[in-house]
Amino acid sequence: MKFDCRKVTRRGLLKGSAATAAASLAPGVYMPAIANTDPIQIGYLPAFTGPSSSTGIGIGRGTELAVQEINAAGGIKGRKLEMVMRDTQSDPTKAVNAAAELTRRHKVTIMWGPLNSGETAAAIQNIARDGVPHIHPCWVDSLIDVKKYPMAFRNGPSNQQVGAAANHYVVNVSKAKKVAIVSDTTGYGTASLDAYTPALKKIGGDVVYSASVDANNPDLKPELLRMRSAGAEAIMPWSVNAGFLARIINTRAELNWDVPIVGQTTLGSGQTKALLAKPEHWEKVYPNNFRNLSYNAQGQLPPQSAEFVERLRKAKVDFADTLLWWVALGYDGPRLIAEALREAGTAPADITAYWNTKVKGWKGVYGTIVWSPDNHDGFQQEEIIMVQANSLKDGAFKLAPGYA
Amino acid sequence: MTAESAPTVGGAATSSTWLPGWFEAWFPVILLAVVGGSLPLWGDSFFGIIATRVCVYWVLVSGLNLVVGFAGQLAIGWVSLLTIGAYVASALAAGRVTPEIPAYVALVIAAMFGAVFGFIAGLPALRLRTFYFAMTTLGLSTIVTQIALAWRSVTGGGVGIPGPSMPAPFDTPWGFYYFTLILALICTWMTCNIAASRFGRSLVAVRDAEVAAEAVGIYKPGLLMTVFLFSGALAGLAGGLFATLQSYITPDAFTFDLSVLFFIAILIGGRGSILGPLLGTAVLTVLPEFAAPLVQWSTFLYAFLLLVIVLLVPGGIADLLDFRNRKPLDQHREIRPRPELLTKVLEDRKRESVLELKGIVLAFGGVRAVDGVDLQLTTGEVHGLIGPNGSGKTTMLNVISGYYAPQQGSVKQDGTDFTREGSYTRARHKIARTFQTPRIIGESSVIDNVMIGGTLDGHASFVEAMLLLPRQRRDEKHLREKAMAALTLVGLERIAGVRADRLQHSELRFVEIARALMVEPSFLLLDEPAAGLSVDEIERLGELIKAISRRGTGVLLVEHHADLIFDICDRVTVLNLGKVLASGSPDYIRSHREVINAYLGA
Amino acid sequence: MLVESIISNGLAVGAVYALIGIAYNVMFSASRVFSFTAGSVGMLGGVFGAILISRMGMPVVVGFLLTLLLGAILGIITEIVAVRPVLKSLDQHLYVLSTLAIALMIQQLTAIYFSTDAVPFPRVIPIEPGIFDQKFWLPILACILTVLGLEYLSRHTLIGRAFLAIAEDNYAARALGLPEAGLRMASYALAGMISVLAGFAAGQLLFASLANGPLLNFYGFVPVALGGMGSNRGAVIGGLALGLFQQTANYFFGGIFSSVAVFIVFIVVLLVRPEGLAGAATARRV
Repeated sequence: MKFDCRKVTRRGLLKGSAATAAASLAPGVYMPAIANTDPIQIGYLPAFTGPSSSTGIGIGRGTELAVQEINAAGGIKGRKLEMVMRDTQSDPTKAVNAAAELTRRHKVTIMWGPLNSGETAAAIQNIARDGVPHIHPCWVDSLIDVKKYPMAFRNGPSNQQVGAAANHYVVNVSKAKKVAIVSDTTGYGTASLDAYTPALKKIGGDVVYSASVDANNPDLKPELLRMRSAGAEAIMPWSVNAGFLARIINTRAELNWDVPIVGQTTLGSGQTKALLAKPEHWEKVYPNNFRNLSYNAQGQLPPQSAEFVERLRKAKVDFADTLLWWVALGYDGPRLIAEALREAGTAPADITAYWNTKVKGWKGVYGTIVWSPDNHDGFQQEEIIMVQANSLKDGAFKLAPGYA
Repeated sequence: MTAESAPTVGGAATSSTWLPGWFEAWFPVILLAVVGGSLPLWGDSFFGIIATRVCVYWVLVSGLNLVVGFAGQLAIGWVSLLTIGAYVASALAAGRVTPEIPAYVALVIAAMFGAVFGFIAGLPALRLRTFYFAMTTLGLSTIVTQIALAWRSVTGGGVGIPGPSMPAPFDTPWGFYYFTLILALICTWMTCNIAASRFGRSLVAVRDAEVAAEAVGIYKPGLLMTVFLFSGALAGLAGGLFATLQSYITPDAFTFDLSVLFFIAILIGGRGSILGPLLGTAVLTVLPEFAAPLVQWSTFLYAFLLLVIVLLVPGGIADLLDFRNRKPLDQHREIRPRPELLTKVLEDRKRESVLELKGIVLAFGGVRAVDGVDLQLTTGEVHGLIGPNGSGKTTMLNVISGYYAPQQGSVKQDGTDFTREGSYTRARHKIARTFQTPRIIGESSVIDNVMIGGTLDGHASFVEAMLLLPRQRRDEKHLREKAMAALTLVGLERIAGVRADRLQHSELRFVEIARALMVEPSFLLLDEPAAGLSVDEIERLGELIKAISRRGTGVLLVEHHADLIFDICDRVTVLNLGKVLASGSPDYIRSHREVINAYLGA
Repeated sequence: MLVESIISNGLAVGAVYALIGIAYNVMFSASRVFSFTAGSVGMLGGVFGAILISRMGMPVVVGFLLTLLLGAILGIITEIVAVRPVLKSLDQHLYVLSTLAIALMIQQLTAIYFSTDAVPFPRVIPIEPGIFDQKFWLPILACILTVLGLEYLSRHTLIGRAFLAIAEDNYAARALGLPEAGLRMASYALAGMISVLAGFAAGQLLFASLANGPLLNFYGFVPVALGGMGSNRGAVIGGLALGLFQQTANYFFGGIFSSVAVFIVFIVVLLVRPEGLAGAATARRV
């Protein structure tokens, strides 16, 4: 265990309020947790407010439950797990500040999050520089790089994997060759567009329309008309903005255009549903989801997930207004963290080594994770599938038609 | 300018405290250096990041301060320039447009782009009124973000691009902190210098007394565009530093909240101050960090603070720190001009000069305010211009001083015709004036107000002022000495350092005269200078005017006080309904029957 | 189909901009200042509608009237807190700051207590969505009714004529004994109601969303700037033209370029004619 003892002098600045402010900022005398009963601090960077907050809220519920369960079962060898949380407000600037506070002032052992790609892109450099083991679930491909960020691991799919699953469904399963891809103008949207358009072409798809559209635009009819006149047989929207997705779905209905909409998970969220003009519009909408958390043809969840749902109900965790997979993802993160701490201790090098070598088929509720020294993208391609949006029940869906 | 204004290079007694002049002037620099330089001793590396952010924001805000605080242009959407600077620096450093460029060069180029776009963003300010201009800056910031999203090949679109990385020794967190601190110190120093130069004073003049600023020769468009250029450059540089700090930039990092922070920091700090906005920036950046649950309330609090400042303490922090202007003034101040000191202010005019107005016709809509007036002013003479209200006296004055161009007629001085030239050219032609209602910059000190009169004397360029080069120092010394001499002449030297809005009305009239004398005018135009003065003061005013005319200046005196007119004037012209009723010696006028009927009474 | 879509959307969204422009004008006529709150209060029209009707289950008419009342209250608060105190001061630009502060506070409170996502807006009239759906003709209807209502007010009612008097010649009106402060407050209440009407009528088109605040602030101001401040006719024409232009540009060039195009037109017109196309030139300064 490393020691790092520093004495810091307090210093007041000029007058009254300034002095109080400075005093609260300058840290007091700091001693690390060498005692065996002090809690282990884990940095946690969700966005509970701001435009990308619905993910944060959903994931947060799972994380909270996991931490409760871990601590109730005795914690990590008698030490409690403590999540030190800072709300990034969906703002990369605040994410950088908050990450620095957690790594440098609180000296957290492991960092969990940020949960949104824009924020992680900004914060990951400093987290890596500060040598803190890092797990995040963000999808943007460049956020995992074993050379640049050797201590960063992903417990969710990469964008590339998600797109591959959707593309596979459109071209191979539903046999629609001519495809229209549309995204909003955020980082996530445009990155997806850039990645999936060539990927689609590679598996034999014909991209007849590919554009990024401002999510605030109230009228998407011109865009859909353009798609239709280009002969599109399927629409693939990539955006987490429920309003934008709802408009696409509504406009498809207004045009009486019967093509499947296949794409981003949020197509199936409660928010999107609320913004539909009519419930029937939700037919033939197939969002991404995950096999572990989807109902089979008989309407059942896999056993591990069914049991998880029971546990959620018992703990009175609400998940009907969010997506079950967000809660599951939030639940798996702390458990991966806890296992490493239990088996390998709190030294960064040990934790990283553990994750590099000992996580081979870790069965999470969300997905099965496999990591290796040259692959920190843990999620398995087969576990990413498409589901039917209008089969939403208790935050989970039925598999889309056509899967074996 | 407020408490910590001009360095007293030249030793004039405006700094009444025991601190040396440069300390007061450069106090913001010194404070920043001491607190910022010692940071590693008392703060941890988390605070280091926050402090780095303060420095980066301050680089931008110090420039924006000149635009918003000094020039009074409400540029609310300045984050657009931060965005441009950040993307330029990052795109160049990452090699997306050209081969990879070293970080320092990328920062310099970012500053250049910032300057260009600052200039463009500022152009509407020359034509639009405040609210409209504020809206255009808001529109601009939206446009820039949208372009950043759209232009994927360069900016990475929504995904973003990595920021530049600094080479050693600035690649460590503390190393980079010192880099930004040094830049912040340089920016503070430069803006302190500008604030204490004729450029700073001119900006404030344009903000608060635009009409008077024109009268002393300040050319608003040139001044504003220089400041926008400078401010844009600093914002572009700050953008490059921001990108380095963030290590990766995406369009969603450039929020409207940032624009609000920059803007409000200046207003909370106080207009016309350097120290205030510096403290404001530090406070607003640091505040959300030490109250974690308050983070989502931070912008609400900024807005609330802004409202409080606007309603209760419009002068901001700078006002609260302005101790000098809390000292009570002697209530029974008398104004005693010393005409004998005129020799120190005005040179003896050897050559005679004639200002000739012929056939001036000026109509507003259907009304002919001036209907064919001839007027001749000679140096060394006091020429009175009287007449009932609405007779066209002030309009004539405005024609001479260039605020109106007549529809017919000419204004010539010794044969040179400048009828159509703008009001800001008059000072160059050595024509100065005072105003019916004193146009004074309330927030500036008396001596700063007077020094504005000598703007055209300055030879140093903006860059020389910024860097406090020798020519600027000479300019300031000379200007300050001359201004003190003018104030001593009108008898107001004891209140030279006092804020002008604390003065009595009669004192303001004499301040305007002192300011006008700084132009060393061949012709001095006085617009009802005796209004509101006591009998004693009018007498002293008369002596002063006579002395001025004896020194060789031609004085045009527009007045209602008949006694004063007949006492000191060499010639009198009477206007009525826009036409000349009579013109001649005072005795001739006094006994002219029509004049008596129309105006003087029995 | 495409032309229909551009026209119906363009006119609808243009009518919303026109209404916000009228709100700006009403406030300007009463106080000679522009307020940044026009768009933010407009946004609240949609938000209140969504909360009162969808979330709290009130009948549409009750929710609507309550929203109008809340709009009037917000208008009055703006006048008392942000406008009246600064009109007295010599520094004429404080109103920009105080109204900006209020608008920001409204935005932030909404972000914290309501949501940053778009929220569905309830169906106002329970009929099926047809070809020309109510989300298009509701804003247009609201705009027409407002313009007619204001005309009637200013021509045939005493209070309307009092408003006109204050706008035309402040000093004379006060000399006649008109209660300037009270009338100004009433004007701001009226402007608040017009703003929330705009947001409410636009609810099904734009959804109830925080992002509508800055959007309406800027695009609601463009008609005023181009049409001449104080001119409601200019605001309506400008607003409808803006809506159509925006939708056309949207189709041909995409959303991003349409914003740039609007902005460039805005700047160019203002630089050529700072007082707007229908406005009067500025008065003497000296």
